[in-house]
Amino acid sequence: MNIKNAKKRIDNIEDVLATVAAGDLEARIQSDIEDDFSGIEAAIDLLIDDLTDELKNRKKIQNELEEKLKKIQEQQKTIVQQQEDLMELSSPVTKVWDNILILPVIGTLDSQRTQIMMENLLHKIVETGCTISILDITGVPTVDTQVANHLLKTVSSARLLGAECIISGISPAIAQTIVHLGIDLSSIKTKATLQDAMIYAMKQKERVAPGHKSDLLYLDDEVE
Amino acid sequence: MDVVKVRQLVRYHAKEIGLGIVDQTRITTAASELFRNMFLYAEGGDVLMDAGIYNDHKAFIITCIDRGPGIEDIEMAMKDGYSTGDGMGYGLPGSKRLVDDFYIESTVNQGTTVRIMKWI
Repeated sequence: MNIKNAKKRIDNIEDVLATVAAGDLEARIQSDIEDDFSGIEAAIDLLIDDLTDELKNRKKIQNELEEKLKKIQEQQKTIVQQQEDLMELSSPVTKVWDNILILPVIGTLDSQRTQIMMENLLHKIVETGCTISILDITGVPTVDTQVANHLLKTVSSARLLGAECIISGISPAIAQTIVHLGIDLSSIKTKATLQDAMIYAMKQKERVAPGHKSDLLYLDDEVE
Repeated sequence: MDVVKVRQLVRYHAKEIGLGIVDQTRITTAASELFRNMFLYAEGGDVLMDAGIYNDHKAFIITCIDRGPGIEDIEMAMKDGYSTGDGMGYGLPGSKRLVDDFYIESTVNQGTTVRIMKWI
């Protein structure tokens, strides 16, 4: 084989490699001549085949991953949305009797949730003019110092608006835990069950009721 | 993971290991105080839960390790009503009263390790 021929073959190989490097994976050397170069040419063709397969595989995996990521991001969005919904839903304040509000607390009291809970309660106290509110914590599994602190703050701020707060639903296990923690809840009226709290609140109401009623009558008279 | 999730895990394992409802509540609350400290002061940390034998007692052991600012004066931190943050100051001493064994070790600027145990 003369040098001119060899140079031509090498140029051909270079061309193909350049084409592949540029992104066109269809290019092959495919030489029909059998000589010393054939082995190298065949090997390069094989390498390009392998590279093509690898790239295809990688593309496929990348697509799958991107799809999964998209799914996860969507789920994440749903979770955040649901958490927000739950936050709103889980702090309902209901007027159950003339002068009595009930706020059942279920789950965990973190700072954010207490904030919403407190706002709801204070808002409702002003709106309804109720003077007794019952915070039922039957559904709170763990009362640690932070939760107790939040409860104390809620009760204090309700008191500033002239409403008395009763905390009910303290289980025996939680009662013992609170004592061991060293938290002083003696400034708050507490009851074991929601029923006890209701009975206490009704009795309080009877005491408040006469004045309350006469106020109403007085207003009625004025209207007439 | 947040405080609530780890706390649920503690309660789950305390139940699995055979602790009664009162002891479950105690260890969960004690652990909750420690988790909150890690969360508030050290931006999180590691929690190890294990069952083992300690001083001839079968024990449920929780170890909390953080690389936070550390506690300058452990003696003060263990006193009721003392807090460097805006908490009530009952976290550490309260948690000590809730468990059977309490060990704390802290180096300023390196971190804090607290280990609590409840006999089974």
